[in-house]
Parts: sequence; structure tokens; C-alpha cells
Amino acid sequence: MIHSIVWMIWLLVVMVFILSTRNPVYLSLILVGLLFFGQSLAREKKIKNWVLANLRFLLAMILLSTLINGIFSHVGQTILFTIPQKWPLIGGNFTLDSLVYGAINGLVIGALYILFNVINLALSIKQLTWLIPRAFHPIAMMVTISLTFFPSIQKRAREIKEAQMIRGNPMKKIVDWLPIFIPLLVTSLENAFLLAESMTTRGFHQPIDLKAPGNLVSLILGAFFVFSGWILQLFNYPRYLSAPLFVIGFGLILLTLMTVGKHSKITRYHLEEWKPMDIMITIVIVLYLVLFIYLRWADGMPSLNYSPYPYLSIPTLQTIGLLFCILPFVPMIIKRHD
Amino acid sequence: MNKTRLLRLATDLIVIFLGLFSLASPFFFTQARDIDNQAASFPIMVSLIILLCLMIVIFEAQTSLLDSKMIAFLAVLTAINAGLRFLENAIPGPGGFSPTFFLIILSGYYFGSRIGFLVGAMTLLVSAIITGGIGPWLPGQMITAGWVGQSAILVTFLVNKFAWRGKPVEIILLSGFGGLWGILYGAIMNLWFWPFLGAGAGQTFSHNAGALENLQRYVAYYLATSLVWDIMRAVGNILIISIMTASVLKVFQRFKQRFSFQIQGEPEQ
Repeated sequence: MIHSIVWMIWLLVVMVFILSTRNPVYLSLILVGLLFFGQSLAREKKIKNWVLANLRFLLAMILLSTLINGIFSHVGQTILFTIPQKWPLIGGNFTLDSLVYGAINGLVIGALYILFNVINLALSIKQLTWLIPRAFHPIAMMVTISLTFFPSIQKRAREIKEAQMIRGNPMKKIVDWLPIFIPLLVTSLENAFLLAESMTTRGFHQPIDLKAPGNLVSLILGAFFVFSGWILQLFNYPRYLSAPLFVIGFGLILLTLMTVGKHSKITRYHLEEWKPMDIMITIVIVLYLVLFIYLRWADGMPSLNYSPYPYLSIPTLQTIGLLFCILPFVPMIIKRHD
Repeated sequence: MNKTRLLRLATDLIVIFLGLFSLASPFFFTQARDIDNQAASFPIMVSLIILLCLMIVIFEAQTSLLDSKMIAFLAVLTAINAGLRFLENAIPGPGGFSPTFFLIILSGYYFGSRIGFLVGAMTLLVSAIITGGIGPWLPGQMITAGWVGQSAILVTFLVNKFAWRGKPVEIILLSGFGGLWGILYGAIMNLWFWPFLGAGAGQTFSHNAGALENLQRYVAYYLATSLVWDIMRAVGNILIISIMTASVLKVFQRFKQRFSFQIQGEPEQ
């Protein structure tokens, strides 16, 4: 099992690359890599039709995006037909260029969706709850209790449903679900009451003292700094203005969470260990990220962009772009050699 | 108004401002619609800012609300509601129909805005963990579902002001509120990737267009892609709330009394 932090780093770097390119060839290669990787994880978890379900979503997304762009956008030289100008919003030329542009948008959204689907496959529920910061341990506790209760609630719902059906409840209308939902709610809240009592007797009964409002204020300030950095970035202000705001904002948030986390007295069982494989994957992915940032700052990065405007053309390929397309495979390759 | 309430109100206002402003920014800033420049990262940046907003609300709730009783209560309510998402296929209803909103609305209505927010946001988080639905769309879903529960306090205010509790108008109001959110939820959720799906040089959401023109374009886009789906959700909410409310509120009343026990004494240091 790969460490959850390694997965997060991988997710971040692949996401950065997906959002940096609009070249359909790179996007398609990344998608193939993600589908390939996802399929191998799905096979390990004995999940059937994973690729098919994701391909279905991808195609629907491309189709939707292509159509929407084609209908609403009238830019481009390759005119397929013309919708009368007097038709509000959609009147104008229907161009092949705008269809291609829409399809690329669909590819990007599809790639992001599949990337997160791979992460959902790769991380276990336990790893996902571990990722909740220590400063939010009451929330992590709530999520853990919810996840623990979930199967028993499902089981109880099935039992009540069966009992109702034996009594002749047809279960066809919404009103037929009332005799299932109310007993389920009552018995579950009864369990919650027992749980609250046992938590109280074990000493877990007060809202945690997080030295509010100081910490809350610094979280809010941090969010405002990040927000301001983003607004400056939107308006194309120089990076030396927006970057410090991001650094201060994220730094403030991180510092607050670490300070609060230190005050939370919790015990962690089954801690994740960093194995040589995790370190190896992290090094390779971080090298990718460093290379990417260096090339961007030094303006040595070849354009990963592609635009069908004003004329349709064949997308060009660069070695560095192709190198980044191997990214999705990195954990799979290292895991196989481990 | 005491200090805790004031702090809560200030937190809510800041979060609503940051969240809504981020989502609605493409209406005002042409740069957010320029896909070659900034809009490529728009959905991710908006998700990030919304995630920060969620952290702020949850952090505030932790300090003032989440004792053992509340943790147990909310965890179980969230588990039930997350389970209802799986019943979407079992309960007869058309596409878009979702049985999860009624419990979020009733929790906010009966137990207050913060609990409503937590039930909404946590339901989406827990069901995403179970179903493998974690992605950049999740913070948006969580905060919008949170707002559904939080805003139910407006119905409480009206019902208390005009002494409608226990009268048919109470259920009518709640059903109408559920119907309204059925549409609003979809309209807000579309915002986070809206500029992305149809943007580009002088395109769907024109660079030179003003806020009003872009709003018209968004409405056209929404009508074409989501309205039918959202109407189904709205109708589903109205039906479920009108059928379930009276019984669920009775259960809530019973358990509110039972959960109101107080703990005497201080923990050992």
C-alpha cells in the first residue's frame, strides 16, 4: 500500500500538468495512462467495468462540452452552417473550430474526473480519514463514527423493509417509505444517545478549547490572503505581488492548524509507515514538479497549449510534454519493480 | 447578542461572502472567463477557496458546539442521510430526485443553522468517502448542502414569528423551501465549472459582456443542461417534505429533550 501523502503529492503534480496543457494529444495520453492505472487498481479491488464507466462519463463530457461550445460560440473560420442571427444567444456561425475547442474542454474535465476516480480507488477509507488534519479531530471522529454506523444502519433499513413487505407494504410510493424511515431514525438516534453517554463517561464531553477566537481569526485572515492572491492573479498582476499573498495565507493556515493540532490529545493506531517505495515515488514526482516549476520560471517551457483558433491545425508535440505524460504511470512502475 | 453568537454571525457572513463571490466571479471579472489565461485553474482555485471557507465554519463549530452529545448525534444523523443517497435507486423517483435534502432541511429548521450546516456538509463528505466521490467538486457540494441546512433557520424565524408551528402552513413553507433549494442547489453547483465548459476567446461567456449579459448566457446554459434535472429534485423535495415532516419533527422533539442532559463537574487534569 502506497502512503497517503505520496498519493496526495502525485495527485497535485498530475493535476498541475492537466491544468497546464490544452494539447489534445497530451491530454489523451494522460487519460490513457490514468485509465490504465485505474484499471490495474480496480482489478486489485475486484471492481468490474471501471474503465467502461469512466469512458462513458468521459464521452458524455466531451459530447456535452462540444455541443455547448458549438451552439453558443460562433468564433472560427471553418463554418459548418449558420443559425439565423435573430435567434437570441445561439444565432451565428456553427464552426468546426468551436466544436474542437469544446471537445478539448471536455477532455480536461474528463481527465480531472478520472484522476480523482483513480485516487478514490487508490486510497482506502482508513487512509482518507487519516488525511483529515489533527486540528479537526472532532470532525474526524464524527466521520469515523458515521462510517462505522453506516453498515449497521443499512442492515437495519433492509430488515425493517423486509418486515414491512411481509406485512403487505407495497413499497411503491414515497409514502410507503415512512414506516421504514421513522423506525430507522428512532433506533439510530437511540444508538447515538447510548454512544453519547459512553463518550461522556469516558471523559469526552466538552467542546475542545481551541483558544478561539484567536485561531479562528488567523484562519479567516489566511483565507483572505489566499483569496486576495487569487484576485491579483486573475487581474494579471505580477507574480511577485500575488505569490507572497499565497505564501502568507497558506502559511498562516498551516501554522494555525499545526498549533491547534498540537493541543489535541489523540492516540493514533496503525500509523502509516514510509517504505523505500514511497520515498522513491516521492523523489521522482517531486523532481517532475521541480523541473516543471524551473522551466516555467526560466521561460524555458515549450508551450503545452493548443488552440483551434483562428484556423484548425495539427497539435505539435514536444519531448518535455511527452515526458510529463508518463507521470500517471510513475507509482505503477515503481510499485511493480519494488 | 453574546460574544459566541456574534463570532458565529461574523464567520457566516465572511464565509458566505468569500464562497459566493468566488463562485460568481466570472460574472464580474472577464479574466476568470479567459480559458487560455486563468480559467483553466478556475475550478480548482474556487474549490480551494470554498475548502478554506468550510474549514473556517467547521473550526468555529468545533469550538462552540461539538461536545460528545453533538458528535454522536450528528454522526448518526449523517450516517442515516448518507444511507438515503443509496436509496435514490430504491425509492421510486425520476432522475435528479434525491431523498437527502429533506433531513438536512429539517435538521436546520429544528436544531438551528449550525447543526443544519454540519448535517448538510458532513452528509456529502461521508457519502463521498463511501462511494469514492471525492474530487474538486466535493467542497462545492459540501458548502452548498451546508447552506441548504443553514438557511432553513429562515423558515424557523417565520414560523416562530407568526406562530405557525404545528399548523399546515408550517409544512407548506418547508416544502416550498425544499422545492426552491432543489433548483438553487443545481444552479450553484453549476457555477464552479461554468466558465470552463463554455469559455474561450470571445466565446460562450463573452469577454466583453457585462454581468447582466453573462447572467443571461448562464441562464440559457442552465436551462439547456440542468433545469429538467433540478425540477425533478425540487418536486422530490416537495413530496418527501410534505409526507415526512410531521413524523420526523416528532422524533426530533423527543430526542432534543433526551439529548439536553448536562454534565456536572470538571474533567481531571
